[in-house]
Amino acid sequence: MRRIVSGLDTRSAEFLENRAHNRRLAAELKATQEKARRVRPQRDLDRLARQGKMFVRDRIEALLDPGTPFLELSTLAAGLAYDGEVPGASIVSGIGIVSGREVIIHADDASVKGGAWYPLSVKKIVRTLDIAIENCLPVVHLCDSAGGFLPLQAGVFGDRYLAGRIFRNQAILSKMGIPQVAIVLGHCTAGGAYVPALSEYNVIVKGTGAIFLGGPPLVKAATGEENTVDELGGADVHTRISGVADYPASNEKHAIAIAREIVGTFPKRAKAAIDWAAPEPPAYDPDELYGIIPRDIKVQFDMREVIARIVDGSRFHEYQPAYGTTLVCGFAHLWGCPIGILANNGVLFNDSALKGAHFMQLCDQKRIPIVFLQNITGYMIGRDYEHRGITKDGAKMIMAVAGLEVPKITVMVNGSFGAGNYGMSGRAFDPRFLFMWPQSQIAVMGAEQASNVLAEIKVRQLARQGETLDAAGIAAIREPILEEYRRQSSAYYSTSELWDDGILDPVDTRNALAVTLSAALNAPGGDPHYGVFRM
Amino acid sequence: MRHAFDIGGTETEVWLSRDGAGYRLHGDAGEARIGLAAGRLDVDGVGEPVLVVLDGETIHVHLGGANYVLRHKDPARRFADEDDGGAGDAARAPMPGTVVRIDVAVGQPVALGDPLLVIESMKLETTIRAWHGGTVAALHVAPGQSFDRDALLVTLSAGGG
Repeated sequence: MRRIVSGLDTRSAEFLENRAHNRRLAAELKATQEKARRVRPQRDLDRLARQGKMFVRDRIEALLDPGTPFLELSTLAAGLAYDGEVPGASIVSGIGIVSGREVIIHADDASVKGGAWYPLSVKKIVRTLDIAIENCLPVVHLCDSAGGFLPLQAGVFGDRYLAGRIFRNQAILSKMGIPQVAIVLGHCTAGGAYVPALSEYNVIVKGTGAIFLGGPPLVKAATGEENTVDELGGADVHTRISGVADYPASNEKHAIAIAREIVGTFPKRAKAAIDWAAPEPPAYDPDELYGIIPRDIKVQFDMREVIARIVDGSRFHEYQPAYGTTLVCGFAHLWGCPIGILANNGVLFNDSALKGAHFMQLCDQKRIPIVFLQNITGYMIGRDYEHRGITKDGAKMIMAVAGLEVPKITVMVNGSFGAGNYGMSGRAFDPRFLFMWPQSQIAVMGAEQASNVLAEIKVRQLARQGETLDAAGIAAIREPILEEYRRQSSAYYSTSELWDDGILDPVDTRNALAVTLSAALNAPGGDPHYGVFRM
Repeated sequence: MRHAFDIGGTETEVWLSRDGAGYRLHGDAGEARIGLAAGRLDVDGVGEPVLVVLDGETIHVHLGGANYVLRHKDPARRFADEDDGGAGDAARAPMPGTVVRIDVAVGQPVALGDPLLVIESMKLETTIRAWHGGTVAALHVAPGQSFDRDALLVTLSAGGG
């Protein structure tokens, strides 16, 4: 494999301006994440202190092996929802190492609305457990939730992927033989009671931990029976009488120490057999990624420059370098792991779509995980392309990406518009993980095109009623549409709605891919097989 | 979770991280690149001979002409100990029965494993023994008395023997 020869001029005005712009975006991301992680109203922190509870971040730190990587997922979930009052959707989720085992953590954050589950909290927990199922990762649940947020109960309860899915996923994990440990650090009420009950192992803290289907007030209202929390569902009740909980713990640290011991008894799963190479940093400085991404999403750039700053030694074996050149395909290593890469270098034409479908099947046969680097405006339109069957060529790519057995991981490097999102392994195609870069955008079409179309429809409606609009009138219609469209296309909106697993600072991409590839290799997938490709 | 060691009566927390092919030792006092192989301890590239003998959780180290005794503090035991003692520190009846004999008096110091009282249930005598060293804080039953399952039998407090 050869080192990519970079054509980047790191002294050009363009590079420097891009770098300043993107560094500012990365700094904004860091600040926003830090706020979501740690900034809480004083009264909530006071309440935790009064209850003798640790902050969720300290619990996770105590749980993890010190000095090992932890990849937090969906830090900014619900960031643009609920008036910004539910940072992280009141849940912390991430992949880390506990007692030498790779696990995924679901932790309720009791410093946000008492850890109440909002609709997006449920979505985040379900996603966390989906990741566990897809990648065969044991789960540690840190339970401390007030239960479903009642004013929004319609958004947490009835449908297929709402709260019931959490418990269904727990049962499926158990059936697959993937163990779960729950630590009960606060109240687990109603549905929340099933999280520890459906875990193979659970630990409950004396005094603060409790599990019940109905809490004391509900029991009193229903039957008149009066109970203290401890009498109804405290540590003693469940570890000595009911058998709902397994291990009593004197305090949170004790509970975490017991849980670490339990995880230490899990057999280590064998990862997929792949040809590991000795890891090597990229030959080009990943910091230069900031100078590559243009300030304007419409400006084209060479995705090989991005690949060169992510993969080992910047080495890349490019497949079909002269054919279908708007899709760059090839092999590389990332932290020693062989990967296939599909990266957009422009709109997808017939030949690029065919090349992509072909290359995906190559990777599937070689059992090599695939990384998709998206910067895609869509498939080419127009008479020539329709006559050549651009739709059936796009369909081949979608058939391939949906049928892949090897793990796939998607990074939205810049734009993700239209059907290009599908062919390049968008969320609906079950990539094991999907990340956004801070300036990236995702929408069915670009903001300006969409707002022009919508404004045009409005103008015609008014014209039919005999009204005409001047330029200012049209702008007055167009601008709010554009503004709302931009907001809903932003990476921050996507991540708020959990369309992805988090926004990455571009320089962190290499490490995030390493952690997720390692997790994905726990479940290498079956033998390659596909549906019918329309030829 | 960090490892804790008792070194000369002082609790010290440390943890290891990977550093290339080797390791880095971290603690509140700072960090150092370390290696331990073939009877040599390397700290930031400076090596000296070391002899380490493990005896359960006790570690004997001979280094630089001196002997050190370290104790690894098991995390589960370390944190459980904090809350030991108090009203919850009691033995309860595992099943209904009667008290055959009481071997201790309130205020008496006891060591781990000392017999406290003997109960009889289902034609089987069971000796309740001290589950840690301490003092008998209270006896909740008398000889000959019958009791139900889960009845309080005896309470210990920390300290004393």
